[in-house]
Amino acid sequence: MSSSISVDSLHKSFARNEVLHGLSFELPPGSVLGLIGPNGAGKTTTLRCLLDIIRPSSGTLRVLGEDPRHSGPELRRRIGYLPGELILESRVTGRRLLNHFAALSGPVKRGRIEELAERLAVPLDKQVRELSKGNKQKLGLIQAFMHDPELLVLDEPTSGLDPLLQQEFLAMVAEVRNDGRSVLLSSHVLSELQQSADRVAILRAGTIVANASVDELRANAVRKLRVRLEDGQEALDDATRRLSAVPGVDGLRTLPDGQLEASVHDGIRPLLTALAALPVTDVVLEEPDLEEAVLTLYGTNHGNGHPATATGHRTRRLERHARKES
Amino acid sequence: MWEIFTRGVVDSWRATLTWAVGLVAAAALYLPLFPSMVGNGQMQQMLNSLPSQLVKTLNYDQLGNGAGYTQSTLFGLLGFLLLSMATIAWGASAVGSDEESGILELTLAHGVTRVQLVAGRALAILARLFLLVLVMYCAVAVLNGPSQLSLNLGTVAGAALGYAGLMALSSAAALLGGALRGRRVHGLMLGAAVSVAGYVFNAVGRQSDSAKWLLNFSPYHWFFGANPFSNGVDWGACIGMWVGTIVLMALAAVVLRARDVGR
Repeated sequence: MSSSISVDSLHKSFARNEVLHGLSFELPPGSVLGLIGPNGAGKTTTLRCLLDIIRPSSGTLRVLGEDPRHSGPELRRRIGYLPGELILESRVTGRRLLNHFAALSGPVKRGRIEELAERLAVPLDKQVRELSKGNKQKLGLIQAFMHDPELLVLDEPTSGLDPLLQQEFLAMVAEVRNDGRSVLLSSHVLSELQQSADRVAILRAGTIVANASVDELRANAVRKLRVRLEDGQEALDDATRRLSAVPGVDGLRTLPDGQLEASVHDGIRPLLTALAALPVTDVVLEEPDLEEAVLTLYGTNHGNGHPATATGHRTRRLERHARKES
Repeated sequence: MWEIFTRGVVDSWRATLTWAVGLVAAAALYLPLFPSMVGNGQMQQMLNSLPSQLVKTLNYDQLGNGAGYTQSTLFGLLGFLLLSMATIAWGASAVGSDEESGILELTLAHGVTRVQLVAGRALAILARLFLLVLVMYCAVAVLNGPSQLSLNLGTVAGAALGYAGLMALSSAAALLGGALRGRRVHGLMLGAAVSVAGYVFNAVGRQSDSAKWLLNFSPYHWFFGANPFSNGVDWGACIGMWVGTIVLMALAAVVLRARDVGR
């Protein structure tokens, strides 16, 4: 079966400013691909090309086997799309708005809109301009999901949703995938993708710098290791010597309470072998921080043992970087 | 396309109603004054005392009979202003506002082509325009007797059709302006340019023979120059304006179809 989305050497320029420099990626049917990148990296531009809202300067696009440039409304009826910036200011009610889109892209199963609205807890009979940002976003999600499209293209789908509804959204995505349908979603927050996506493509300044399965990312991710040893300076020195010889173990240091701390960014098997020979009383190997893994792939240096602060710092740097480029 | 058309007409009923009330009020304000102002010759005396340039600028040189009065005051001045404001705003918004707010991107991601979208919205504008002109016509028809206007309602009906064409032309220019770059303000500028320039060219062109050539570029003059409410509409001008409207609207569709949306 052919890919739900196939993008090959996609270039896009606005005036003389090229914003996409030859993107390529595939979305296999029945899977979820996350497009991650800082603001200005080209995520929205890429997604708009798939819907024929903007036109590529060059490159080949195939969406559900068709060329979006020439397949018109018939193709778009098979896609559910959520734009990145959803501004609903009209006086019509949510129900009217959804019925309007259903008339354009339907058919929508009877009761489907109400079912989704109940699930996402959004009032349908209020004028859309009176709704909160979160509720507008929910209407956006409903119009994307309501006709059960073969492909969903969602730009920053969880922005403005509270955590409980983010979980509901993840469940909706999982159902789509279980149906054998596909989802492409974008985000600048990896944490919301690591639960829903099979693969992530990392976009920076108009190119895909990495395309990896979440499992691969997890394997590459930096984990924080803390080891408590039996008392004694000798044991500590021995452990320091052995652990620093293990490939992929970095930033080894002794904490004030006598524990050893390090970051681990390779396979853990050699580490386990080394640990097995030591008089260990306690080991903590933290859940890998995918955010950190992505930043590693972005080309910044490895974690320094303080991923939280390091991540925040680097994210800011990346955003500045992206702003300069956009 | 019909879904876009229906939504365009139905969802804007409040605005349409407000404009209709305004136009009826304008008719009710001007027309009943005719017997007292013009019938006893006072008006003519006042007009004689005014500079002839001013009288021509206001198109008040036709005030002597009911048809001229109706044409100059209601259709040529306040009605022209109100209807132009309404239809230019609608034209400019049809693509421009939606693109500015981002909702156009979402609509176009659904099962509709850009040509269908422009066609649906353009037809919605025309339907609302026809409705408002019909309301004006009815107001005039109702006031015809009581205000002693002695209008031939058949002539007025033809004139109203030409009048709708005049309004449609500036609205179509506004639609095209909004579709060019997706900015409402461009639509307002282009629509107002057609409407205001037409009015000004008419006013200046009628002042002297040396400026007379300006009249050729004034849609306002194409329509009002023939005194359609007295003499019947100039069908050539009427058809010309409707053809122009259709051409501009088609151009808007072509422009929108060819470009990127929402950046």
